[in-house]
Amino acid sequence: MELDVTANKPVPSLRGERRRKEWGAHAALLVFCFFTLAPFLFVLNNSFRSTVEQQRAFFGLPSAFVNMWSKEPVEVLDENLQRTLIPAEQCFSYFLNEATRGYQLAREVLHDYLLNTLEVCLSVALGVVIMGSVVAYLLARYRFPGSRFVYYYIIATMMFPAVLMLVPSYMVVRELGLLNSFWALFLPYLAGGQVFAIFVFKGFFDGLPEELFESARLDGAGHFNLYTRIVLPLSKPVVSVVAIMTILGAWNNFMWPFVTNTDGSFHVISSGLFVMTRTPVAQNMGTLYAAYILSSLPLLLLFIAATKPFIQGITSGAFKA
Amino acid sequence: MAPEAKTRLSHRTRFVLGIYALLALPLAFLTVFVYLPFFWGFISSLYEFEIGASARFVGLANYREFLFKDPVTWPSFLNMAFLAGWGVMVRLTVPLLVAKLIHSLSNERSRHMYRILFLVPIVVPGVAIQLIWGIMIFSDGGLVNEFLRVIGLGGFAPNWLTDPHSALIAIACIGFPWVGGFEVLIYYAGLSAIPDSVNEAARLEGCTGIRKFFYIDVPMILGQLRLILILSIIGGVQTFENVLILTRGGPGFATTVPGLWMYYNAFSFQRMGYACGIGVTLFALILSLTALNLRYFKGAESLEG
Amino acid sequence: MRDYSLWIRMAKFGVLALVLALLVWCLLPQGQAAGKIGPQAKSSSAKYNIRVAIGQTYMPGTVPLGIGKELHGMADVVGAFEQRFPDTHIELITVPFDREYLVTQLSSGSAPDVVNVNVEDVWTDVQKGWYLALDPWLEQPNPFIREKNDPALPGFEKWWDMFKYQAISRGKAAPDQLMYCLSYDMVETGIFYNKDIFRKAGVEVPNTWEEMLAVMAKLEAFGVTPMTMYVDSFNDWGTDLIFDQLYYSLLPGIDLLQDPLREPYLQGYLDWDEICFLFQKGYFTKSDARYRDVFRIMKEWRRYCSADIVDSRLMLTDFVRQKAAMHWNISQLVYRLGADKDLGFEWGVFYLPTIGKATSKYASGNTMCVIGGSANQLEVTNTAFSDSRDPASSERLKRVMAFLQFICVPEQYEKVVNEYPCFISNIVGVESLPPMKPFVEILERPYTTTKWVFTFDLRFCDIQRRLLELYLNDAMDLDEFMRWQEDNIRTATDNLILRKPMDMAKMQVRWDELAPARATMEDLPSGS
Repeated sequence: MELDVTANKPVPSLRGERRRKEWGAHAALLVFCFFTLAPFLFVLNNSFRSTVEQQRAFFGLPSAFVNMWSKEPVEVLDENLQRTLIPAEQCFSYFLNEATRGYQLAREVLHDYLLNTLEVCLSVALGVVIMGSVVAYLLARYRFPGSRFVYYYIIATMMFPAVLMLVPSYMVVRELGLLNSFWALFLPYLAGGQVFAIFVFKGFFDGLPEELFESARLDGAGHFNLYTRIVLPLSKPVVSVVAIMTILGAWNNFMWPFVTNTDGSFHVISSGLFVMTRTPVAQNMGTLYAAYILSSLPLLLLFIAATKPFIQGITSGAFKA
Repeated sequence: MAPEAKTRLSHRTRFVLGIYALLALPLAFLTVFVYLPFFWGFISSLYEFEIGASARFVGLANYREFLFKDPVTWPSFLNMAFLAGWGVMVRLTVPLLVAKLIHSLSNERSRHMYRILFLVPIVVPGVAIQLIWGIMIFSDGGLVNEFLRVIGLGGFAPNWLTDPHSALIAIACIGFPWVGGFEVLIYYAGLSAIPDSVNEAARLEGCTGIRKFFYIDVPMILGQLRLILILSIIGGVQTFENVLILTRGGPGFATTVPGLWMYYNAFSFQRMGYACGIGVTLFALILSLTALNLRYFKGAESLEG
Repeated sequence: MRDYSLWIRMAKFGVLALVLALLVWCLLPQGQAAGKIGPQAKSSSAKYNIRVAIGQTYMPGTVPLGIGKELHGMADVVGAFEQRFPDTHIELITVPFDREYLVTQLSSGSAPDVVNVNVEDVWTDVQKGWYLALDPWLEQPNPFIREKNDPALPGFEKWWDMFKYQAISRGKAAPDQLMYCLSYDMVETGIFYNKDIFRKAGVEVPNTWEEMLAVMAKLEAFGVTPMTMYVDSFNDWGTDLIFDQLYYSLLPGIDLLQDPLREPYLQGYLDWDEICFLFQKGYFTKSDARYRDVFRIMKEWRRYCSADIVDSRLMLTDFVRQKAAMHWNISQLVYRLGADKDLGFEWGVFYLPTIGKATSKYASGNTMCVIGGSANQLEVTNTAFSDSRDPASSERLKRVMAFLQFICVPEQYEKVVNEYPCFISNIVGVESLPPMKPFVEILERPYTTTKWVFTFDLRFCDIQRRLLELYLNDAMDLDEFMRWQEDNIRTATDNLILRKPMDMAKMQVRWDELAPARATMEDLPSGS
């Protein structure tokens, strides 16, 4: 399952020519990169600008950053909307506070949501990996009456339009008395999330050579041992892919947490952000952008930490229909 | 012989029962949280009904209205076909090109770096991305029009998302240059999985560059292409959040897609039964497209294999 | 290549450290922060925890538009209320009033006790029992006024009497003639104009519609966008205003019903029943010359607006950046403009002038009516009496109503509505803030003949908006527009007739009685 780095091993004699050729590839990739990432740089920039500033001019450096280094007193409106002068020596701290105001507000709002999100995402990821791998393992390795039916029963749900399900799903959760709780998110995510997991795990398990199991079976390994000793260790990269994709899905779904949270006591990041866009906080656009940035942090961290297994997982060949 | 057969049978039965026991919980979840709502929606489509009010059985009237009477239906399907078709096209080509470019680099570290860079945007919430494009790129004071003014084409600068003639195209342009990090990884994985022997043979045959790409690489990653194709089609038929956030399906109905129309009918227009009818129709469409897809590609694969 | 590797590793490490630090900062426990969305600390002693979604204008902790101080007025009022009712805790929450939210929450009885939504989003839901009619309480004394023992005070006899703008407040009744919302405050629209640009272009504030068109033509020649407005403003306000200008003189011939409750406040208002009946008589169809003229005039006006009328963000920014000379908006904008020290121009407010015969031969020549009205509309949901399921015996509901009555008492009201210049006071005895003065004057005008987007359902509203988007952007001509609009009205009236029993026979009798009045009028639809 290691990355195949030998595939394009450069032939020494061709090295110089290859280099020159690669400049073209690098240039093209950098252009693609720039356009892909540029919008996010704008968000970063605007997260330091106030609404009034953004309305006045669309592009531009945050004025607070500029004023931070001012050598002269700067005129501002104070809390009571009176014009006051900020002395030059206080400019730095005053405008540092101004520039990060959006972040401070966003943090206050996001704090609980972040904790809730982490709780939901991590438990859903764990549940989906366990359930998905077990089911996929059973479907991939064993023939039993109804196995095909079970597989299609599961896979068919991938085609159900989400909007059609929103209201009925809500009714179900409500009847079960799960509204406003961790379970209202956890159980439906687990039910829906396992489908993708099963799809991916099964794709991976199908590709495992039969001999692997034969030899283990000859050694007297039971079904459970086969699963824990052979299958799970081998599928580490796939596990990380499934976990990350599940976390991403749970992270980005806003409509569901939004409607099942009737008293606002268990909002997660996505629904919280959505609620935020409709609330007074959003009147300060800097805050909104800052919230986008802050809410991306945990995923960014996950990414930086887990890129390798993630890439390996996708590379492992499970993603082949 | 007989007792032995009996124990084997009971062993087998016990084994199967064990499997069923393991499957029970996942399938129960699936039934309660996915199938139950789905059938509820399916049955609702036969009723004229508002949430909170009493329902009236109308048979297939909702379907008749949607398919034959509603003037929004066909334009919305055309919009959907355009957006979905475009989505499939770019997701099959651009990430593949980028994956190929990355794969062609000799330095493992830069290959790794590029893959991560293209992957970074998936950490940003989808809502944020749509808003960024709407506000920053396509608004009149946004990137594109400011740029057009700089190069002296200010008179041409259209109202991208609010002019009925350009709105659909503008929506299709969102995400430019459409390098999905996830797709890049999948294609890259496919390219990496091509055995050395094949690459070597191609090189010896003098099959390089563009020719190698089309004659060797593309056929070898058909599986990945099919996966992306299916996912793009399903996504293309279902997606409407982007349109909802950016244009509300307007101006007029210029960017309305069936999913959005379903959403509006369900929540704004209080026609839950009708909305469910649209949803079921979409489900049927996705189902048949996927079936077609699988059949066609199976054919291609067996030819190749 | 090797020298770079250290740098790359350090960069990666640096990013990781930064992200980690920020994340820890986010997750660190913090004190009860102001401006926080979600539940406040629940007081354990309270027997009734009442959730009030007050809306964003007055939410404590908000910094409106990110300018100035955090709001606290409503929090103070809640504090005073809780002191008087120790068994009750008022939880102010912010919820998004999207349809998905309302429909799911109300159908399951888990909505906040008090919500703040436009009544036009409500009336199609009232028959499902999701909202409570407030009339029985409004007709009774307000207990907090009663206890002052001064019969001269408004509210001593009836809570209703406390409201300043009776016509507009009562006009919010639903088709079943019941009142489901409390018009807590008022909003008015006006045309904000850039005095500097007007001076430089040599134009004055127009007094007639024709003058306004001339002013806009001059401004355009001067090189600025004459006016920015949003397609929603055309849809909601523009339609009603022009409609009123053209139909006002017809009212003696077509105002069929005098609603005993509302007529004292809304003379000649065309109600749901009347619109439905008149539509059947050929009014508001493609063969109604006046109705057609409404949209012709609108298009003429639209030609002077910015090319983009759909992107709401542009409307304000173009005005602020002095690219546009005029901007039609609501009174709240005063706060935004007043608090911008770098605005760099002088601005004023005027109202739309009367349409003259030169513009349309059907012009009635009456004063341009007002279009604003109730801003924050508070509704009581079915959650409020969820304890006994019966409004008559519900203890919880008593607290909810007491809270609504309490926030209307002038001393309390003052703290909330006049905390910053945004909306207009609707309580007798509370003057609006000085910056609201031009809008208070505009609000003195007579109320509109009908409110189209309020009459029908959300579907009508949405479709009309879409049609206007196309028509006003030249993607559809007037004939095609009228054809679609007729279909739209037909669907809407059908829907209305389905929901509301109408006495068509009574209207027919009245219709026949008014025939002589109509005989003198020109170009009536052929159906009559």
